[in-house]
Amino acid sequence: MDSLQIGSYTFSSRLILGTGKFSNSTVMLDAVRASGAQLVTVALRRFNREQAEDDLFGPLSAIEGITLMPNTSGAATAAEAVRAAHIARELSGSLFIKVEIHPNPQHLMPDPIETYEACRILAQDGFLVMPYIAADPVLAKRLEEVGCASVMPLGSAIGSGQGLATSEMLNIIIRESGIPVIVDAGLRSPSEAAHAMEMGCEAVLVNSAVAAAGNPQAMAEAFAEAVAAGRKAFRAGLMQKSGFAVATSPLTSFLGTR
Amino acid sequence: MLQMITIDLNGQQQPLTPGSTVIDLLAVIGSDGKSVAVVVNDCIIRPENRPSHLLQEGDRVELLIFAGGG
Amino acid sequence: MTTLPEWLSDNRDTTALAAMLSPASSQSIETLAAESRAITLRRFGRTMTLYAPLYLSNYCSSGCAYCGFASDRKTPRHRLEPDEIRRELAAMKKLGISDILLLTGERTAAADFDYLQRSVAIAAEEMQRVSVEAFPMSVNEYRALADCGCTGITIYQETYNRERYEALHRWGPKKDFIARLETPARALEGGIKSVGLGVLLGLSDPVQDALSLYRHVRHLGRRYWRAGMSVSFPRMRPQTGGYEPPFPVDDLLLARIIFAFRIALPDTELVLSTRESATFRDGMAGLGITRMSIESRTTVGGYCESENEESKEKTGKGQFEISDDRTAKEFCAALRRQNIEPVFKNWELSYNGPSSSITLATQPKKEEPCH
Repeated sequence: MDSLQIGSYTFSSRLILGTGKFSNSTVMLDAVRASGAQLVTVALRRFNREQAEDDLFGPLSAIEGITLMPNTSGAATAAEAVRAAHIARELSGSLFIKVEIHPNPQHLMPDPIETYEACRILAQDGFLVMPYIAADPVLAKRLEEVGCASVMPLGSAIGSGQGLATSEMLNIIIRESGIPVIVDAGLRSPSEAAHAMEMGCEAVLVNSAVAAAGNPQAMAEAFAEAVAAGRKAFRAGLMQKSGFAVATSPLTSFLGTR
Repeated sequence: MLQMITIDLNGQQQPLTPGSTVIDLLAVIGSDGKSVAVVVNDCIIRPENRPSHLLQEGDRVELLIFAGGG
Repeated sequence: MTTLPEWLSDNRDTTALAAMLSPASSQSIETLAAESRAITLRRFGRTMTLYAPLYLSNYCSSGCAYCGFASDRKTPRHRLEPDEIRRELAAMKKLGISDILLLTGERTAAADFDYLQRSVAIAAEEMQRVSVEAFPMSVNEYRALADCGCTGITIYQETYNRERYEALHRWGPKKDFIARLETPARALEGGIKSVGLGVLLGLSDPVQDALSLYRHVRHLGRRYWRAGMSVSFPRMRPQTGGYEPPFPVDDLLLARIIFAFRIALPDTELVLSTRESATFRDGMAGLGITRMSIESRTTVGGYCESENEESKEKTGKGQFEISDDRTAKEFCAALRRQNIEPVFKNWELSYNGPSSSITLATQPKKEEPCH
């Protein structure tokens, strides 16, 4: 069985779903169920008695097989992220934490330095640290070194729908990584998710593409199928691309005739 | 008349009767406490400690829930 | 019997290499050569890094079936004393060499770790880059070598086929397959900046060994991601009266293996020694090989002109049918004719010393003298 292994957790689904940006929680919960996702991200928010129905903990936990992955969205420093992680773990009991530190609210690009520091601390504290990063191969290895459970490089900016703009860097990260690589952010279409899986990603994280779709539930299903197909293709061994150059005069005549 | 104490709740002033515990606060604001994290002065207050944790004047209290996020 | 490590059978990215080396491959040698050449040009430019080997000693405790230095062979044993080492180094420097590989046999009382460490320190005074191809050492020993100026360790697994390995390495510490396998990792753990891997082509199925070698490179690359890696392709030549390689590798297959490695490992240094003929070396330069030895002497020492004729005898020439015995000058001229620039110095002494790495065990650095 080709399961996704993170820490002591085993998942049959390689699609991770974000729960933000949906029009309401009913639509979101339907999409989660339709996606078959077993790992979903949530954010920490201040309790507001006027919006008590915003609480997702109860409804999400009720879905069979769900593990929550709280994120540290809102944190701008390592200290804030570490604090958020501890609060989140207390609330959910889940060891997963998505370290997401983006100080700039325009492009939401992750801060590598604060992220590294937060991950270093949280890994020591026993969390399953899942850092959201730019597609930086060296940063990915550094985070692996300090004990992260995976790396989550972006395909393109959050919500931009620019797909796998970082594919060249992703290829390097995937090739060199000793821990699961999960593409997170920027995916717009199921085919892009399939492509990421064909490249060798262990999972993909999708949010905006489902939440902003015309029919989020159907889109969630489409993503699930695409992720499964991409993974199957990867495991089946894709045919090699040819595109070899041919020299104008023979290069190997020195090897003698055969 | 009882002198109320004031705490900072999620960045806003919240009056409470003296001797209020965390459980009392949750009741006042209408939370069942089940899916809420309680942080008092940067310390996480576990559910089992909430009935006994007394709130003091000027305490900074944060109540956090899980909401949608990517 | 210790279980084999998982990485030795890890197929997560061996598909491309396996396809290129498969007998059923539809890719012609010309196609592979062209692709290999294009990648080499992009990544390494038109350069060839040059180095020379210096055999410090041919004392050996092991019983490798294929080696003329095995402990049961009658070859005269010698080790270089410090003053001899210095004379050899001076002679090598005159030839333009500044990057050397120090060699010994397996660990013996005559050529033990202390001897090696002292020799490395001497070499590091004269040479810009000092690599060692000797016996497997402990992490601490590697760290001490790194402190004394060694920046590279070459260690060939010979073959990754355990049964064949154990049959060929009849006695001595080299008999331990797993210990040998773990050696490059220990070197990197000890702060050595780069490792050179290889198999002795001819000992076992070359395609299987090539795939295992590739897996080894990939495994080490993932774990020690700051490390430099190089791959050599030593090939057993048939010897009359000596050891006959059971899986002889012809020029065509060797070339194919080298091209496939260049394509599969675009950033890895690929090394060819003077075991190979001038024709083959000239042909492979620019097509995939990026580092070659020159002016090689495979006897102990041998670079000093002042030595007598007996010790000047080049056993390399006698043992193998063909080898490249061109002088540095001749070889460089050949490279330049192909528009390849010979590079004698590609390092700076000030970079010597152990690699910094946060994964190193927090052991206190042993302040042992180098001399």
